[in-house]
Amino acid sequence: MGMTVIGRPSGLAYVLAALAMLVPLAARADFHIRSPDEIDQAEWEFETNGAASFDHNPSRSGATSYTAEIGGGLTSWWRPELEFNFARDAGLGQRTKAQGATWENTFELTEPGENWLDLGFYWEYSLSTQRQKAHDTLFGPLLQKDVGRTTHTLNLFFAKEIGPNQNVHGYDFSYAWQSRWNIYRYASPAIEFYGDAGQIDRVAKFQDQQLIVGPVLVGSVPVGTSGKLKYEAGYLFGATNASPNGTIRWKLEWETHF
Amino acid sequence: MLRVLLMAAAIPLMAGSAMADGELHVTIKDHKFQPDRLEVPSGAKFKLLVKNEDSTAEEFESFELNREKVVPPGQEIPVFLGPLDKGEYSYFGDFHQDTAKGVLIAK
Repeated sequence: MGMTVIGRPSGLAYVLAALAMLVPLAARADFHIRSPDEIDQAEWEFETNGAASFDHNPSRSGATSYTAEIGGGLTSWWRPELEFNFARDAGLGQRTKAQGATWENTFELTEPGENWLDLGFYWEYSLSTQRQKAHDTLFGPLLQKDVGRTTHTLNLFFAKEIGPNQNVHGYDFSYAWQSRWNIYRYASPAIEFYGDAGQIDRVAKFQDQQLIVGPVLVGSVPVGTSGKLKYEAGYLFGATNASPNGTIRWKLEWETHF
Repeated sequence: MLRVLLMAAAIPLMAGSAMADGELHVTIKDHKFQPDRLEVPSGAKFKLLVKNEDSTAEEFESFELNREKVVPPGQEIPVFLGPLDKGEYSYFGDFHQDTAKGVLIAK
């Protein structure tokens, strides 16, 4: 008669669990700060994001991700977007694959500047097209404050895998911060942080968490009579042992009003 | 309804909020701001009401003030600003940048 033995997890299980916790920040194309203040009714956006990570260790290097998305302000306070995701895992011999589609929703809860803090909310649902990979949802507040000619934005997100293929059952906590100096429309400097603390019920040691930090250039250029091209580009340094040594990230967006 | 629920959930984060101290009006007509120079008190919050009397949309934009907001034709929108340091802050209509220009002077 067979017998199932439930014992302590092996060392390999610990490694796999740790890797699973690190996956959310390996190289995700949504390395961009979400502002609560950028929703206009009937304004449409066509956007692409990308990120690529590099590391001295070849098995942790080469992760890339890209998105293509379209969205627009259905009301003055709600902007839904549809995003298609593509990614390549870190390591040798990997190739870029379609990951799935994401329905993103940004809600502007306060008028910009009306209160001490501008507040929004973000919620997304990602449908995975990968076998054995779970769908997931992500949500959290968007906070923004102008101080003089600087703008400071904080995103706090909780993510949860859903559906039958869950590898992790808890909530993951991630955060992102941008401080921008609004000196020139075409190019303004900013500094950004992107961190992932892992599962909230068993937060990893700081050096085992993902944290990347670095400078970013942000700007916009008018296009035609009712549109503009916005860009963001930066290089983010790994700040913990678990983070890749470097990540480049970019965003290109055509914003137009119909 | 959804927005109300989300705002209710966020009330604890809203501590310290304050309404604008005063109101100013500016009109967009023939793709120009009228008036195109506005004096505002430095160090105070205020509400700028931007009315679009044209038949096409305009976007009130100021890079220095970090504001970017579409004004649909025939409608009026609030733009909450300040407190500002003394100085000049330019704004423009993003869809008619050649003609729609203005400046806020904080004194």
